[in-house]
Amino acid sequence: MADRTILKRRNPERKLLQEFCQWLYDSTIGTSIRESIWVFPIIETVHVLGITLLVGTIAILDLRLLGVVLKREPVARVAGGILPLTWAGFAVMFVSGFLLFWSEASKSYANPAFRIKLMLLLLVGLNPLIFHFTIYRTVGAWNNTVVTPFRARLAGLFSLTLWAGIICAGRAIAYFQK
Amino acid sequence: MDFLPLFQWLGHTPVGVFMQQSTYAFAVVEMVHLLSLAILGGVILLIDLRVLGLGLKDQTTGVLAQQLKPLLIGSLLVSVVSGILLLSEEPIKCYFNPAFRAKMLFLALAVVFYFAVQDRVFRLQPGASSLPAKCVGVVSLLLWLSVGLAGRAIGLL
Repeated sequence: MADRTILKRRNPERKLLQEFCQWLYDSTIGTSIRESIWVFPIIETVHVLGITLLVGTIAILDLRLLGVVLKREPVARVAGGILPLTWAGFAVMFVSGFLLFWSEASKSYANPAFRIKLMLLLLVGLNPLIFHFTIYRTVGAWNNTVVTPFRARLAGLFSLTLWAGIICAGRAIAYFQK
Repeated sequence: MDFLPLFQWLGHTPVGVFMQQSTYAFAVVEMVHLLSLAILGGVILLIDLRVLGLGLKDQTTGVLAQQLKPLLIGSLLVSVVSGILLLSEEPIKCYFNPAFRAKMLFLALAVVFYFAVQDRVFRLQPGASSLPAKCVGVVSLLLWLSVGLAGRAIGLL
Protein backbone atom coordinates (compact mmCIF):
# COMPACT_ATOMS: atom_id res chain seq x y z
CA MET A 1 0.00 0.00 0.00
CA ALA A 2 2.74 2.40 1.02
CA ASP A 3 4.79 1.51 -2.04
CA ARG A 4 1.92 2.28 -4.31
CA THR A 5 1.48 5.76 -2.83
CA ILE A 6 5.15 6.54 -3.46
CA LEU A 7 4.88 5.31 -7.03
CA LYS A 8 1.79 7.38 -7.64
CA ARG A 9 3.42 10.49 -6.28
CA ARG A 10 6.60 10.06 -8.34
CA ASN A 11 4.92 9.01 -11.52
CA PRO A 12 3.74 12.36 -12.94
CA GLU A 13 7.22 13.95 -12.80
CA ARG A 14 8.82 10.90 -14.31
CA LYS A 15 6.31 10.87 -17.10
CA LEU A 16 6.92 14.54 -17.74
CA LEU A 17 10.67 13.97 -18.07
CA GLN A 18 10.11 11.00 -20.33
CA GLU A 19 7.72 12.98 -22.52
CA PHE A 20 10.19 15.85 -22.68
CA CYS A 21 12.89 13.43 -23.89
CA GLN A 22 10.51 11.99 -26.46
CA TRP A 23 9.66 15.52 -27.63
CA LEU A 24 13.38 16.34 -28.04
CA TYR A 25 13.93 13.04 -29.86
CA ASP A 26 11.08 13.73 -32.30
CA SER A 27 11.99 17.39 -32.86
CA THR A 28 13.35 18.51 -36.23
CA ILE A 29 16.87 19.13 -34.90
CA GLY A 30 17.01 15.88 -32.95
CA THR A 31 15.83 13.88 -35.94
CA SER A 32 18.21 15.64 -38.36
CA ILE A 33 21.25 14.90 -36.19
CA ARG A 34 20.20 11.28 -35.75
CA GLU A 35 19.44 10.65 -39.41
CA SER A 36 22.45 12.41 -40.93
CA ILE A 37 25.37 10.16 -41.85
CA TRP A 38 28.02 12.69 -40.89
CA VAL A 39 26.61 15.05 -38.26
CA PHE A 40 26.36 12.54 -35.41
CA PRO A 41 29.90 11.08 -35.83
CA ILE A 42 31.36 14.60 -36.18
CA ILE A 43 29.73 15.85 -32.98
CA GLU A 44 30.73 12.61 -31.26
CA THR A 45 34.36 13.11 -32.36
CA VAL A 46 34.35 16.65 -30.95
CA HIS A 47 32.88 15.25 -27.72
CA VAL A 48 35.54 12.51 -27.42
CA LEU A 49 38.53 14.74 -28.24
CA GLY A 50 37.09 17.47 -26.03
CA ILE A 51 37.79 15.13 -23.09
CA THR A 52 41.42 16.30 -23.29
CA LEU A 53 40.54 19.97 -22.81
CA LEU A 54 38.05 19.38 -19.99
CA VAL A 55 39.22 16.29 -18.10
CA GLY A 56 42.88 16.38 -19.18
CA THR A 57 43.39 19.89 -17.84
CA ILE A 58 41.44 19.48 -14.58
CA ALA A 59 43.24 16.15 -13.95
CA ILE A 60 46.59 17.94 -13.96
CA LEU A 61 45.30 20.42 -11.35
CA ASP A 62 44.04 17.45 -9.31
CA LEU A 63 47.45 15.78 -9.62
CA ARG A 64 49.07 19.02 -8.40
CA LEU A 65 46.76 18.96 -5.35
CA LEU A 66 47.92 15.39 -4.75
CA GLY A 67 51.56 16.46 -5.07
CA VAL A 68 52.27 14.26 -8.11
CA VAL A 69 53.13 16.84 -10.80
CA LEU A 70 54.14 20.53 -10.99
CA LYS A 71 55.33 20.23 -7.39
CA ARG A 72 57.40 23.40 -7.62
CA GLU A 73 54.49 25.50 -8.88
CA PRO A 74 52.22 27.35 -6.41
CA VAL A 75 48.75 25.78 -6.37
CA ALA A 76 46.91 29.06 -6.97
CA ARG A 77 49.07 29.79 -10.02
CA VAL A 78 48.41 26.33 -11.49
CA ALA A 79 44.68 26.74 -10.82
CA GLY A 80 44.65 30.22 -12.36
CA GLY A 81 46.41 29.03 -15.50
CA ILE A 82 44.47 25.81 -15.96
CA LEU A 83 40.88 26.69 -15.04
CA PRO A 84 40.16 29.00 -18.04
CA LEU A 85 41.11 26.09 -20.34
CA THR A 86 38.96 23.70 -18.30
CA TRP A 87 35.97 26.07 -18.62
CA ALA A 88 36.52 26.29 -22.38
CA GLY A 89 36.54 22.49 -22.41
CA PHE A 90 33.35 22.45 -20.35
CA ALA A 91 31.61 24.69 -22.91
CA VAL A 92 32.69 22.40 -25.78
CA MET A 93 31.58 19.29 -23.90
CA PHE A 94 28.27 20.74 -22.74
CA VAL A 95 27.23 21.92 -26.21
CA SER A 96 28.40 18.78 -28.05
CA GLY A 97 27.02 16.53 -25.32
CA PHE A 98 23.65 18.23 -25.34
CA LEU A 99 23.41 17.90 -29.14
CA LEU A 100 24.18 14.16 -28.88
CA PHE A 101 21.56 13.80 -26.14
CA TRP A 102 19.05 15.80 -28.20
CA SER A 103 19.25 13.27 -31.03
CA GLU A 104 18.97 10.23 -28.74
CA ALA A 105 16.99 11.68 -25.83
CA SER A 106 14.27 9.05 -25.47
CA LYS A 107 16.84 6.24 -25.73
CA SER A 108 19.23 7.97 -23.30
CA TYR A 109 16.39 8.42 -20.81
CA ALA A 110 16.14 4.67 -20.36
CA ASN A 111 19.91 4.02 -20.64
CA PRO A 112 21.45 3.00 -17.26
CA ALA A 113 24.94 4.19 -18.28
CA PHE A 114 23.55 7.60 -19.21
CA ARG A 115 21.75 7.87 -15.86
CA ILE A 116 24.92 6.98 -13.97
CA LYS A 117 26.89 9.51 -16.03
CA LEU A 118 24.43 12.29 -15.16
CA MET A 119 24.56 11.45 -11.45
CA LEU A 120 28.38 11.45 -11.51
CA LEU A 121 28.33 14.81 -13.35
CA LEU A 122 26.16 16.24 -10.59
CA LEU A 123 28.65 15.02 -7.96
CA VAL A 124 31.68 16.25 -9.90
CA GLY A 125 30.02 19.68 -10.03
CA LEU A 126 29.49 19.76 -6.28
CA ASN A 127 33.13 18.85 -5.56
CA PRO A 128 34.76 22.12 -6.74
CA LEU A 129 31.96 24.15 -5.14
CA ILE A 130 32.74 22.62 -1.76
CA PHE A 131 36.49 22.87 -2.42
CA HIS A 132 36.38 26.55 -3.38
CA PHE A 133 34.21 27.68 -0.49
CA THR A 134 36.08 25.71 2.17
CA ILE A 135 39.73 24.64 2.06
CA TYR A 136 40.69 26.75 -0.99
CA ARG A 137 39.94 29.93 1.02
CA THR A 138 43.11 29.30 3.00
CA VAL A 139 45.23 28.52 -0.09
CA GLY A 140 47.61 31.35 0.86
CA ALA A 141 48.85 29.24 3.77
CA TRP A 142 49.64 26.11 1.69
CA ASN A 143 50.10 27.57 -1.80
CA ASN A 144 53.76 26.56 -2.09
CA THR A 145 53.71 23.23 -0.28
CA VAL A 146 54.21 19.98 -2.19
CA VAL A 147 51.90 18.11 0.17
CA THR A 148 48.64 20.06 0.35
CA PRO A 149 46.17 19.78 3.28
CA PHE A 150 44.23 16.53 3.59
CA ARG A 151 40.96 18.08 2.40
CA ALA A 152 42.61 19.51 -0.71
CA ARG A 153 44.10 16.11 -1.53
CA LEU A 154 40.71 14.54 -0.92
CA ALA A 155 39.10 17.00 -3.36
CA GLY A 156 41.73 16.11 -5.98
CA LEU A 157 41.17 12.41 -5.46
CA PHE A 158 37.37 12.78 -5.68
CA SER A 159 37.68 14.80 -8.86
CA LEU A 160 40.00 12.27 -10.54
CA THR A 161 37.82 9.32 -9.54
CA LEU A 162 34.56 10.97 -10.58
CA TRP A 163 35.91 12.14 -13.96
CA ALA A 164 37.29 8.67 -14.66
CA GLY A 165 33.85 7.26 -13.82
CA ILE A 166 32.19 9.80 -16.12
CA ILE A 167 34.45 8.83 -19.04
CA CYS A 168 33.78 5.12 -18.47
CA ALA A 169 30.01 5.63 -18.06
CA GLY A 170 30.03 7.84 -21.16
CA ARG A 171 31.75 5.12 -23.19
CA ALA A 172 29.29 2.56 -21.82
CA ILE A 173 26.29 4.56 -23.12
CA ALA A 174 26.91 3.15 -26.59
CA TYR A 175 26.94 -0.40 -25.23
CA PHE A 176 23.52 0.03 -23.59
CA GLN A 177 21.87 2.10 -26.33
CA LYS A 178 19.06 0.15 -28.00
CA MET B 1 58.89 -3.71 -44.79
CA ASP B 2 55.94 -6.04 -44.42
CA PHE B 3 54.18 -5.85 -41.07
CA LEU B 4 51.44 -8.36 -41.89
CA PRO B 5 53.18 -11.39 -40.25
CA LEU B 6 53.62 -9.32 -37.07
CA PHE B 7 49.89 -8.51 -37.01
CA GLN B 8 49.03 -12.17 -37.66
CA TRP B 9 51.33 -13.23 -34.83
CA LEU B 10 49.70 -10.68 -32.47
CA GLY B 11 46.28 -12.20 -33.12
CA HIS B 12 47.55 -15.65 -32.13
CA THR B 13 49.34 -14.66 -28.91
CA PRO B 14 47.63 -15.69 -25.63
CA VAL B 15 46.76 -12.03 -25.06
CA GLY B 16 45.18 -11.74 -28.50
CA VAL B 17 43.18 -14.92 -28.02
CA PHE B 18 42.01 -13.66 -24.61
CA MET B 19 40.93 -10.31 -26.06
CA GLN B 20 38.99 -12.08 -28.82
CA GLN B 21 37.21 -14.51 -26.50
CA SER B 22 36.43 -12.32 -23.52
CA THR B 23 33.07 -10.53 -23.38
CA TYR B 24 34.18 -7.54 -21.33
CA ALA B 25 37.94 -7.21 -21.93
CA PHE B 26 37.61 -5.07 -25.07
CA ALA B 27 35.17 -2.64 -23.41
CA VAL B 28 37.34 -2.33 -20.28
CA VAL B 29 40.59 -1.83 -22.23
CA GLU B 30 38.84 0.73 -24.42
CA MET B 31 37.94 2.70 -21.29
CA VAL B 32 41.56 2.57 -20.11
CA HIS B 33 42.62 3.78 -23.57
CA LEU B 34 40.20 6.73 -23.25
CA LEU B 35 41.42 7.57 -19.73
CA SER B 36 45.04 7.65 -20.88
CA LEU B 37 43.97 9.81 -23.84
CA ALA B 38 42.50 12.31 -21.38
CA ILE B 39 45.80 12.67 -19.50
CA LEU B 40 48.08 12.53 -22.55
CA GLY B 41 45.91 15.07 -24.39
CA GLY B 42 45.79 17.29 -21.32
CA VAL B 43 49.59 17.35 -20.99
CA ILE B 44 50.11 18.06 -24.70
CA LEU B 45 47.47 20.81 -24.68
CA LEU B 46 49.04 22.49 -21.64
CA ILE B 47 52.54 22.43 -23.20
CA ASP B 48 51.54 23.51 -26.72
CA LEU B 49 49.03 26.12 -25.59
CA ARG B 50 51.69 27.55 -23.26
CA VAL B 51 53.97 28.03 -26.28
CA LEU B 52 51.10 29.93 -27.90
CA GLY B 53 50.69 32.09 -24.80
CA LEU B 54 47.63 30.39 -23.25
CA GLY B 55 47.06 28.57 -19.98
CA LEU B 56 49.98 28.27 -17.53
CA LYS B 57 51.56 31.56 -18.59
CA ASP B 58 53.41 32.20 -15.31
CA GLN B 59 55.86 29.40 -15.98
CA THR B 60 58.29 29.13 -18.91
CA THR B 61 57.55 26.45 -21.50
CA GLY B 62 60.85 24.71 -20.82
CA VAL B 63 60.27 24.28 -17.09
CA LEU B 64 56.62 23.32 -17.66
CA ALA B 65 57.51 20.70 -20.28
CA GLN B 66 60.25 19.31 -18.04
CA GLN B 67 57.88 18.97 -15.07
CA LEU B 68 55.11 17.37 -17.13
CA LYS B 69 57.43 14.98 -18.98
CA PRO B 70 56.98 11.98 -16.63
CA LEU B 71 53.20 12.30 -16.97
CA LEU B 72 53.50 12.58 -20.75
CA ILE B 73 55.67 9.46 -21.00
CA GLY B 74 53.54 7.56 -18.48
CA SER B 75 50.22 8.30 -20.20
CA LEU B 76 51.78 7.61 -23.62
CA LEU B 77 52.92 4.18 -22.39
CA VAL B 78 49.44 3.35 -21.04
CA SER B 79 47.88 4.43 -24.37
CA VAL B 80 50.33 2.34 -26.39
CA VAL B 81 49.93 -0.78 -24.23
CA SER B 82 46.12 -0.51 -24.13
CA GLY B 83 46.20 0.27 -27.86
CA ILE B 84 48.16 -2.92 -28.60
CA LEU B 85 45.62 -4.90 -26.56
CA LEU B 86 42.76 -3.36 -28.56
CA LEU B 87 44.66 -4.07 -31.77
CA SER B 88 45.16 -7.74 -30.81
CA GLU B 89 41.38 -8.22 -30.91
CA GLU B 90 41.22 -7.56 -34.66
CA PRO B 91 44.79 -7.23 -36.00
CA ILE B 92 44.13 -8.19 -39.62
CA LYS B 93 41.10 -5.92 -39.92
CA CYS B 94 43.14 -3.03 -38.50
CA TYR B 95 46.08 -3.81 -40.78
CA PHE B 96 43.89 -3.16 -43.83
CA ASN B 97 42.05 -0.19 -42.28
CA PRO B 98 43.31 3.10 -43.84
CA ALA B 99 42.35 5.06 -40.70
CA PHE B 100 44.45 2.74 -38.54
CA ARG B 101 47.44 3.16 -40.89
CA ALA B 102 47.02 6.93 -40.86
CA LYS B 103 46.84 6.91 -37.05
CA MET B 104 50.08 4.92 -36.72
CA LEU B 105 51.83 7.25 -39.16
CA PHE B 106 50.68 10.40 -37.32
CA LEU B 107 51.51 8.83 -33.95
CA ALA B 108 55.06 8.04 -35.08
CA LEU B 109 55.45 11.56 -36.47
CA ALA B 110 54.03 13.19 -33.32
CA VAL B 111 56.26 11.18 -30.96
CA VAL B 112 59.41 11.73 -33.06
CA PHE B 113 58.56 15.42 -33.41
CA TYR B 114 58.16 15.76 -29.66
CA PHE B 115 61.40 14.09 -28.63
CA ALA B 116 63.57 15.17 -31.59
CA VAL B 117 62.37 18.75 -32.07
CA GLN B 118 60.12 20.11 -29.32
CA ASP B 119 62.05 18.72 -26.38
CA ARG B 120 65.28 20.17 -27.80
CA VAL B 121 63.73 23.57 -28.56
CA PHE B 122 62.38 23.81 -25.01
CA ARG B 123 65.77 22.92 -23.54
CA LEU B 124 67.72 25.37 -25.69
CA GLN B 125 65.16 28.18 -25.36
CA PRO B 126 63.15 27.61 -22.17
CA GLY B 127 61.36 30.96 -22.48
CA ALA B 128 60.69 30.52 -26.17
CA SER B 129 57.79 32.56 -27.45
CA SER B 130 59.34 33.40 -30.83
CA LEU B 131 57.60 32.69 -34.10
CA PRO B 132 59.56 29.45 -34.78
CA ALA B 133 58.66 28.20 -31.28
CA LYS B 134 54.99 28.97 -31.94
CA CYS B 135 55.16 27.10 -35.23
CA VAL B 136 56.54 24.09 -33.35
CA GLY B 137 53.54 24.28 -30.98
CA VAL B 138 51.05 24.48 -33.84
CA VAL B 139 52.66 21.56 -35.71
CA SER B 140 52.56 19.46 -32.53
CA LEU B 141 48.87 20.28 -31.93
CA LEU B 142 47.99 19.42 -35.54
CA LEU B 143 49.92 16.13 -35.41
CA TRP B 144 48.23 14.99 -32.18
CA LEU B 145 44.83 16.15 -33.47
CA SER B 146 45.41 13.99 -36.55
CA VAL B 147 46.21 11.02 -34.31
CA GLY B 148 42.90 11.59 -32.51
CA LEU B 149 40.83 12.08 -35.65
CA ALA B 150 42.31 9.05 -37.40
CA GLY B 151 41.81 7.00 -34.24
CA ARG B 152 38.17 8.03 -34.07
CA ALA B 153 37.78 7.07 -37.73
CA ILE B 154 39.03 3.48 -37.22
CA GLY B 155 35.62 2.42 -35.93
CA LEU B 156 33.76 4.29 -38.66
CA LEU B 157 35.59 2.76 -41.64
